[in-house]
Amino acid sequence: MAVQTSIPVESKKSGGLLTPWNIIFAILALVGVTCWGLQLSRGLQVTNLGTTNMWGLYIVGFMIFTGVAAGSLLFASVPYLFKLDEFKPYTRIATYLGAIASIEAASLFIIVDIGNPERVWLFITSGNFTSPMFWDFLILAAYMVLSVIFTRQLIQVHEGKKEESSLRPIAVISFIAGILVVITSFVFSFQVARPMWSNPVQPISFLFSALIAALVVQMILAVILNKSGYIRMPMNLLGKMAKITAVLLCIELIIVVSEVLMGLYPGAGSEYEALMWLVAGQGAVGFWLELVALVAAIILLGKAGSSKGSRVIVGALLALVAIYFIKVNFLQVELFNPLLNYAGPPVYGGTTGPYIPSLIEIGLSLGIISAGALLLNLGLNKLNLGNGKASK
Amino acid sequence: MRYAMAIDLDRCTGCHACSVACKVENNLPNGIWWNRIMTVGGEAMDTPEGKFPNLRMEFLPINCQHCENPACVKACPVGATYKREEDGIVIQDYDKCIGCRYCMVACPYSGVRQFNWKKPEYAIEVDMGDANVEPHQYNVVEKCTFCSHRLAQDLKPACIDTCPNRARIFGDLDDPDSDISKALKGRSYFHLLEEKGTKPAIYYLT
Repeated sequence: MAVQTSIPVESKKSGGLLTPWNIIFAILALVGVTCWGLQLSRGLQVTNLGTTNMWGLYIVGFMIFTGVAAGSLLFASVPYLFKLDEFKPYTRIATYLGAIASIEAASLFIIVDIGNPERVWLFITSGNFTSPMFWDFLILAAYMVLSVIFTRQLIQVHEGKKEESSLRPIAVISFIAGILVVITSFVFSFQVARPMWSNPVQPISFLFSALIAALVVQMILAVILNKSGYIRMPMNLLGKMAKITAVLLCIELIIVVSEVLMGLYPGAGSEYEALMWLVAGQGAVGFWLELVALVAAIILLGKAGSSKGSRVIVGALLALVAIYFIKVNFLQVELFNPLLNYAGPPVYGGTTGPYIPSLIEIGLSLGIISAGALLLNLGLNKLNLGNGKASK
Repeated sequence: MRYAMAIDLDRCTGCHACSVACKVENNLPNGIWWNRIMTVGGEAMDTPEGKFPNLRMEFLPINCQHCENPACVKACPVGATYKREEDGIVIQDYDKCIGCRYCMVACPYSGVRQFNWKKPEYAIEVDMGDANVEPHQYNVVEKCTFCSHRLAQDLKPACIDTCPNRARIFGDLDDPDSDISKALKGRSYFHLLEEKGTKPAIYYLT
């Protein structure tokens, strides 16, 4: 018997739209719109991108939110496929979060990154089947559709309009789709021009960082919603999520450290030079922050079992910082150390790094995240997603 | 027909005349260079390798390699960059480019593809170069076209005609009597990053 079917059917929170948080999110979203307006009118010169580092914060946002979308689908489908009943009451929030994250990643972060957003329809009318970016577009479109259908079906089961057994097909499809987040890694790892991305561990790293990103966002949400009474997630369950996240972060740490050591060991060569750039050169600040955030998050989340929510929140935020730096460093170490690195006429933008996003990039990204937070809050308010008293 | 270019590195003096000819012919905006002369070994452009008195100057002109197996064509999500079947030139369709810059990520020959980060601005107020050059657009990627507008008029690319040392040779590889077929006979050459499997159409004669 599913846990959520024992929850009263008429649960819907009747809160107003103009809550302080919604207003803050809306204002930040408007700041983002303003930044986008500036970017559209003045061009991508308002970013700190250039010929050498042609991808930056927007692509990092795209990678992270693709991860949240995929990880959320996995988090929602696993309890139904592997009979983990204790997690079932929280799958509605997970699928709804997945829907929003896929909109953030597929629509917003990509649209603000491309120079000609008015041509984005060409993805549909003129898609190139050999392009990993086109495959990724298809996957993200599938995430959007699947998350919405899954959320709807979960609410129907929760309200007693459907049998739980009917969820199996959507759970299987969502699980497979979640695993296919490895296709996002193909966008990078299929490129012969980028040898440090071209490595079979990248798809695994992308899958794990997707799960980490989804788990940490859901842990932060769980602590907040537990406090407000919207859900009732027992502390031991939160502790389990924290420990799973800590294990995944350990694997990411092993991958990062191994890659660096393997590159540095020969003591010379192009990969050695690129990794020296990362550990002791222009990229060093980002790299060491990544390591510190990873280790701190592992310690905090690994010991989160019996502690209060605040430890989980701090650990989860540090894990997000770690994922951010993993993605930023992954991009930068390759882009700033191209295969052909001769002195020549100046090109637009910096050639040595590090890349630090401009205020417009930061404002626009914050706006996108705030728009997502606003949608999330509205969904929590209007849809039947919780299992606590305040959700009734 | 398979257009290709040979660059005789023994003849190249690094004068940058081909870069300037390309810039003028194609009316390139400020900051955009489709054809760049890189300095091998030196820390900055046009600086020698080594320490006095053991110095050495060597140049490596780099433009789009018009690969037979182009990484950019595979990568472009909307087919804005494609290989012309009739002559093998890799073309960038400005009207189709969404400006995602994935082709720049995918191309191993860093910097040959350049993006218009801002509205094109020019050194002088009037347009330069050939009237048939496609107008430059904002927010799109652009690159060497082998001067396709000149080829349509039975002319050679501007860099070929300009090179004072005749270091650049152009022609159809399928024609045994073409300049390039003759130039390659008996000469040793290499391709840039041949191991990447892109099969470039630029031959560096050594």
